[in-house]
Amino acid sequence: MKFDTIIIGGGLSGLTAGLALQKAGKRVAIVSMGQSTLHFNSGTFDLLGYDAQGATVSHPLEAIAKLDANHPYSKCENVEALADEAKALLAEMGVRTTGDAKANHYRITPMGAVKPAWLTIEDYASLAEADKLPWKKVALVNIIGYLDFPTKFIAAGLRKLGAEVDVKGFTIPELEAARKSPTEMRASNIAKVLGNADMVKRMAAAVNEQIQGGNYDVALLPAVLGIADATLSQQLKDEVKCDVQFLATLPPSVPGVRVQTLLRKRFIAGGGVHLTGDKAIGGVIEGGTLKCINTQSLTDTCLKADNFILASGSFVSGGLNSNYDEVTETVFGLDVNAAEGRHGQWTKYGVYEAQPYMEFGVATDEKLHVKKDGKVINNCYAVGSVLSGHNRVKMADGTGVSMLTALQAVKNILK
Amino acid sequence: MDVKLKNKYDVIVIGGGITGAGTARDCAMRGLSVLLIERFDFAQGATGRNHGLLHSGARYAVTDQESATECIQENMILRKIASHCVDETDGLFITLPEDDLAYQATFVESCQRAGIRADIIDPQEAKILEPAVNPSLIGAVRIPDASIDPFRLTVANVVDARIHGADVITYHEVTELIIDQTRVVGVKMRDQYTGEIREVYADLTINAAGIWGMLVAKMAGITVNMFPAKGALLIFGHRVNNMVINRCRKPANADILVPDDNVCVIGTTSDRVPIETCDDMRVTDEEVEVLLTEGAQLAPALATTRILRAYAGVRPLVASDHDPSGRSISRGIVTLDHATRDGLEGFVTITGGKMMTYRLMAEMVTDLVCKKLGVNKACETATTPLPGSESKQSEEELRTYSFADKAAEGRHGTYTKEIVKPADELDEALVCECEGVSVAEVNYAVNSQHVNNMIDLRRRTRMGMGTCQGQLCSCRAAGLLCQGNHADKAAADLADFIDERWKGMKPVAWGATLNEAQLITMVYEDLCGVNQFVKEGGMK
Repeated sequence: MKFDTIIIGGGLSGLTAGLALQKAGKRVAIVSMGQSTLHFNSGTFDLLGYDAQGATVSHPLEAIAKLDANHPYSKCENVEALADEAKALLAEMGVRTTGDAKANHYRITPMGAVKPAWLTIEDYASLAEADKLPWKKVALVNIIGYLDFPTKFIAAGLRKLGAEVDVKGFTIPELEAARKSPTEMRASNIAKVLGNADMVKRMAAAVNEQIQGGNYDVALLPAVLGIADATLSQQLKDEVKCDVQFLATLPPSVPGVRVQTLLRKRFIAGGGVHLTGDKAIGGVIEGGTLKCINTQSLTDTCLKADNFILASGSFVSGGLNSNYDEVTETVFGLDVNAAEGRHGQWTKYGVYEAQPYMEFGVATDEKLHVKKDGKVINNCYAVGSVLSGHNRVKMADGTGVSMLTALQAVKNILK
Repeated sequence: MDVKLKNKYDVIVIGGGITGAGTARDCAMRGLSVLLIERFDFAQGATGRNHGLLHSGARYAVTDQESATECIQENMILRKIASHCVDETDGLFITLPEDDLAYQATFVESCQRAGIRADIIDPQEAKILEPAVNPSLIGAVRIPDASIDPFRLTVANVVDARIHGADVITYHEVTELIIDQTRVVGVKMRDQYTGEIREVYADLTINAAGIWGMLVAKMAGITVNMFPAKGALLIFGHRVNNMVINRCRKPANADILVPDDNVCVIGTTSDRVPIETCDDMRVTDEEVEVLLTEGAQLAPALATTRILRAYAGVRPLVASDHDPSGRSISRGIVTLDHATRDGLEGFVTITGGKMMTYRLMAEMVTDLVCKKLGVNKACETATTPLPGSESKQSEEELRTYSFADKAAEGRHGTYTKEIVKPADELDEALVCECEGVSVAEVNYAVNSQHVNNMIDLRRRTRMGMGTCQGQLCSCRAAGLLCQGNHADKAAADLADFIDERWKGMKPVAWGATLNEAQLITMVYEDLCGVNQFVKEGGMK
């Protein structure tokens, strides 16, 4: 088997790269272990939410220009153009969003806090300004017995911003039945229970009963609808008698799974090969070129390609690993930027301090080429969270780095 | 829980560790009116920061017969009165090739002299009994060690003290002893949340504050010569061993591995530390290294098992009054009557000892108190079961229990009746999936076990102590704890809880533990923004 490009990792950065290459007519394979950090998605994408001093960023492009040279954005030739391209790509794949790179807007978190965002998926709630709600009277409507949408915190957050909030609960017999097994009340399982037009019709009726006579500007609901696409969430919006918007829940994230599902479907429909549940475990490097890679399942074949993209994520996704004294890249043992020796260098005492390990990742040259033993591998590019030089938690730049570096790597390959 | 206090008690007990809780119970059972004051939460100090080992006494047999005898007697008592807190695992003392096998004979002889059953068994048999044991062992002795849950034990004592009429107040720190000429007549205490100071009076004040007892004594101008000895331990991600594994040699660092609930614990180290550091014990890289290296000697699987957390406690070691230099430090029980020792009436100190000899310590100090107050009632704590251990649930009843009910049964014993089959079936929902904690159990803990915040809740229920270290359950529990208009307080508690979980992970943050830490940060800071709720300075 021979591909133009093989991508290691099926999360947001891997899929973005795969789709962009496919659009350029390339034959692409993705090796994916399955889950990704999209499963913690908030229904939004971020480009840069906070600057190096921790201040909230309202104009990301201006703030990105001031980032230091280690940040992955410094390897993106034209951040604005890439950001626009990312938004257009998402829309083309069925993920319609609002927002743009010039100005951040804001999202409401599952704890009722407010955080900056770049793009928000169309049926999710967003604020134009951090301290102002677009609604006066809000019905916060949860499913009875669903604990991963803490309405008390969200209501408190909304009230702080001046809203009048009524917390409501609804249920339908099928959800009651699911609740009998105490581990079933998770967003993705609920989305399956509510997974057809008839169920959504009854859900809408139950919600309407709750909001009746309340003159609400909006009903805010947990993001438990539409794991495949936006059809069911749109149906609910059509059938509920006031504006409906969704708020993120605790993981697993239905919007995140939806994004991953839509992108993967389009990738496969476009002729891409998606090796789901497989894991890259090494490759053959000769004279500065990666010739082919081995995977866990295809034991006797070495998958060949002209180019490779490493989109394997950070520690949490398995792209990086660590032991008692060192940090390693897990597939090829590539060069990493990480503090040498663990003692006192990897972590800080308080959990909310900027943790050094968050910035650890693979080292690349200006073109995002990876290195091994100090030597550049001229046909292997690293993208997304496996890259060193940024703290996605402190800067709120995780999804932006994933998509923009993926698109930049594609440009570097196509050049 | 709202607590309405009286103005005057027979006794005030300072310190909600196991010693204070046990003393409050004993005093209350002898008919005294009691107030127990804890500055934070029950079992927050050394009580909750040890192995959770119900010593057989074997460890002390060679060097300290008195301690060994105390241990085996209390061991047998606690199996009966605190059966829901005890896991009767038995233990091994193993000899490795580098150890002197001749020590085994001395050890067994000393055990038998102290009344501790000690059976030499064939190393092959030891491997069958405990497959996790180092297979290169050349000798093994089986002794009646067991595992005990200090959180449950403390709460059971508190609950029983209350049943016998005691008042109990947490998150109140004693800031001053009220002294009238040559007598302590009461205390001033500060509410840690509001900063409000109040006074309470008593005929007798008992200092049961562990290592912090030296600071309490100092408030009365009295010197108690204590030597804070830090002990660090590691918790592993699952229960590698089913029996306690000890090294059969002179007691040293990291030579005890105890199975506790779903995990196992290796410890400890022993280092003198300044009293000022005792409120913020940090485990060092050197300690982690010693614990890991030595631990793998007992059970080689530890070298490749995920480490959940590291923690450290401080032993309240006391120097003999005749030796202020501290060279002759005792691990024994120390009861000080400050009237005879220092000329100060109305004030006694109970310290030294061990977590598992708390009952005997309580009995000794309560005997002294009763003598001073002219009360003539015998101690009954050696035979009266603690709440939760009155009887075993019937097999028939247990069969009807769900997974979470069974987990709760292990934690609350017969009191599980208050949790299973709640009136509202919504309360059957699981909060913590790792440890099987239901909404009903959380509500029970909040309503009857003095839960003020998430960390207290963890001590009562094990919520967040499993392999995910609170990844999903934290937010669920915070939502349940959030009452009325106090969302900001509940959110700040959640932020603290995440930080507290991290502090135990930090010393061992590599491999799977680092990956888990990154995941928790991504959920709680990146997705939820919980860092926005951190309160500067925390409690007043």
